[in-house]
Amino acid sequence: MSFIADKQTLDDLNLLGKYRPDSIFSLFNKLHTTGGERKLQEMFQHPMVDVEAINTRSNMFRYFQNKQLKFPVDGLTFQKAETYLNTGTSANFLLATTGLLHKKALAVFLHDEQFGQLLAGLNATVEVLRQLQRLMLEMGRDAGSPFEQSRKQISAILDEQGIRDLLSEVFPLPLMKIAWYDHLLKHTLQLQMGALLNGICLLDVYIGVSLVARERGFSYALALPKEANCMRSAGLWHPGLMKGVANPLSLGREQNMIFLTGANMAGKSTFMKSFGIAVYLSHMGFPVAARQMEFSVCDGLYSSINVPDDLNLGYSHFYAEVLRVKNAAESVGTGQHLVVLFDELFKGTNVKDAYDATLAVTEAFSKYRNCFFIISTHIIEVGTALQERCRNVGFSYLPTVMDGHVPRYTYQLQEGITTDRQGMLIIENEGILEMLKT
Amino acid sequence: MLFTTDKQTLDDLNIFGKHGSDSVYQIFNRTNTRGGAALLEAMFQYPLSDADAVNKRSGIIQYFAAMNWQFPFATAWFDAAELYLSNTDERTKLSAQDHSVTQRLSNLVATDAETTTIHNGITALTDLLQGLRDFIGALQLEAGHCYFVDYQAIRAQLHSNAFSVLFSRPRKGRLSAAVFAEYDALLRFRYRDEVKRLLTYVYQLDVYQSVARVAMERGFIFPKALPRDRHLLRLKGVYHPQVKNAVANNISIDERSNVIFLTGANMAGKSTFMKSLSIALFLAHAGFPVAAAEMEFSVLDGIYTTINLPDDLGMGASHFYAEVLRAKKIAAELQSGKQLFVLFDELFRGTNVKDACEATVAFTEAFAHKPGSMFVISTHIIEAGEVLKERNDHIQFVFLPTKMNGNKPVYTYTLEEGLTADRHGMIIINNEGILEILRKGLERIHKKPIN
Repeated sequence: MSFIADKQTLDDLNLLGKYRPDSIFSLFNKLHTTGGERKLQEMFQHPMVDVEAINTRSNMFRYFQNKQLKFPVDGLTFQKAETYLNTGTSANFLLATTGLLHKKALAVFLHDEQFGQLLAGLNATVEVLRQLQRLMLEMGRDAGSPFEQSRKQISAILDEQGIRDLLSEVFPLPLMKIAWYDHLLKHTLQLQMGALLNGICLLDVYIGVSLVARERGFSYALALPKEANCMRSAGLWHPGLMKGVANPLSLGREQNMIFLTGANMAGKSTFMKSFGIAVYLSHMGFPVAARQMEFSVCDGLYSSINVPDDLNLGYSHFYAEVLRVKNAAESVGTGQHLVVLFDELFKGTNVKDAYDATLAVTEAFSKYRNCFFIISTHIIEVGTALQERCRNVGFSYLPTVMDGHVPRYTYQLQEGITTDRQGMLIIENEGILEMLKT
Repeated sequence: MLFTTDKQTLDDLNIFGKHGSDSVYQIFNRTNTRGGAALLEAMFQYPLSDADAVNKRSGIIQYFAAMNWQFPFATAWFDAAELYLSNTDERTKLSAQDHSVTQRLSNLVATDAETTTIHNGITALTDLLQGLRDFIGALQLEAGHCYFVDYQAIRAQLHSNAFSVLFSRPRKGRLSAAVFAEYDALLRFRYRDEVKRLLTYVYQLDVYQSVARVAMERGFIFPKALPRDRHLLRLKGVYHPQVKNAVANNISIDERSNVIFLTGANMAGKSTFMKSLSIALFLAHAGFPVAAAEMEFSVLDGIYTTINLPDDLGMGASHFYAEVLRAKKIAAELQSGKQLFVLFDELFRGTNVKDACEATVAFTEAFAHKPGSMFVISTHIIEAGEVLKERNDHIQFVFLPTKMNGNKPVYTYTLEEGLTADRHGMIIINNEGILEILRKGLERIHKKPIN
């Protein structure tokens, strides 16, 4: 079973997308190798639901962050080495040598480039191996490290007699030695070299991601088993923002829903997105934009933040929203542990209707104590009614402060339901009604 | 006084549209000439705010529409003529005298490009002027006809001494070098201004035929402009010119009920109705035909709509604040005594409901005390309507209904009187069985807890 997040959710949170500069994927994609990028993509597409696996991966990142290692080779050298190792050669040493001599002859007499490329590839491979060896030495033996097993494997390969010989050679190599090592790397140690390349790509991901985490002050969430049923963080912010305001959050069996109010620009959506992104990233075992976070593993994430209000679709916005809520209800009804985010439910209909609908739906959802909800609305009356009926709903709002005539937003979550009446205040400040009366 | 409007309004109504998209301007632009297209654009930019001027223009267009007049001039003439007239360099003036032998010889082999341009220009212009003369000659207008003033002016110009030489010569055959030189001096230098003025008349004619043709083809009607102090707008069967199979609606606004309070669900067609009404009013002020069955209106000083106010998060200012600032700008215009048509779609949707309700009531009431102007306000907050209904009788309440067809909402797009009482939100939710799903799920879980 895997973590459920549908396309709308991924879009709402702007998670994937290599070519969108502001997506969360791009935020972490500071890698050197294409292989690493593929692995990163893989991780983004498959968040996990297994506590152990999540914690193992996040430990790995944490370990690399503490080690403060640098990725040893530049992308170009690695690419050369990778291409070199992937070009096949003959299994027979004699045939392979003949082929090489043929290339050399072509290069001498016809200025053919094949031999030059081969030599450059070999050199790049030697460079990669040397740097990798240095990195392994730098990491050293460390029984408690989560990377220890991989380190041992890599070191073992580097310790092969052939490779040791190669690394101790004096360059440039004579022709016969080139032929010898060419055959060794591409044929005799083919499997081992593949494992090394794979290890380097993984290192690239670990080092790259932990570097981003260190730069941005991210931390690692602790995964707990499902039964723990909680979501706690001392401070959460949006990873895309450089100076995001952090807000604490705590959800559990006793309080599994947050009812969020506040003016339009006060940061409701941003807060919901920060939470959604943190949930998603933490299920990948990735660093999250939070100060301290622990969470019980969930089965999925469901958000409805920017339901497209497209008139050309011919489909009513309200109806689209209802269908989405229905979808969520069906998933929640199967007993799965889900995180559900609804931003301004039912805004496409008149207020009375929206009030009834929001109240009924919110109340029904809140009974699912194994799921977590954040629901935002403009209709603060719903909050008042919920306060009387449901004990397991927490109320938060994002305040608006008046700075003279201009509203200012603190983006700092406060408890309760907003009582902001800046609307009329702004209108009065601007003196519009007086203008109309004269 | 000029009819005022602003960019927001032009964007809302899609008058000019974004580059390359369908706009109201594009509907009417069937002009043959570039000058005509530019003139049409200017008419859209500067609608009229004088009943007589509006009626005059609309009368002219009706006249040409009734006549089913075809534009008798070739488009190529105008390009040649404009290019020719734009060259004001004295040195290029054709000369009849100093034709050296070399020049004649070289002209015999091939005329140089510049001279060819000038020759083409002269030929095009003479054809054009002669065409205009024929057209005007055929029009037997009497004083009092709406096109009479222009007709007279063109006739006087054409029969003046300036062009007598031009029309006295036989029209067939290639002109000699001497005649070319003579015409060049006349058209391009001596009577340049007169020629340009006549061209402008032709461009106007182009616009008239273009608009008249569109009116005929699409069955648009010509509204009747009334003097400013009548404070009246009566529209029958108004529809959106850019919507296929658009539904027509009737509406009338007068002094005693100058505020329209519009409610209805999101897809019920509020915005489309508001746009059709505004576009009709805008076009009417340009003297153009409108997409309606009947229309009468007293001229206003301006039109301001707020339909798609950009909700730009990057701007930093909230949508609500943007709306307030816009309301302030309009209030200032109203304060200065202008009579406006003002339209707000979903007033104050960016704030919480209580605030929005209070603000909507306050604004609508204030508007109701400006009988000279007309207001249309749409909202989701029916409660505001209920309050207003008790307090003020200058307000007309209309709504666009939603009918339920089984599970799916259906929209009639036809205005009805009153406030919407639609409560389809809950019906849809119940139909989809969302609450049921949640209840059953809960029961299942509690019988055998799933972890």
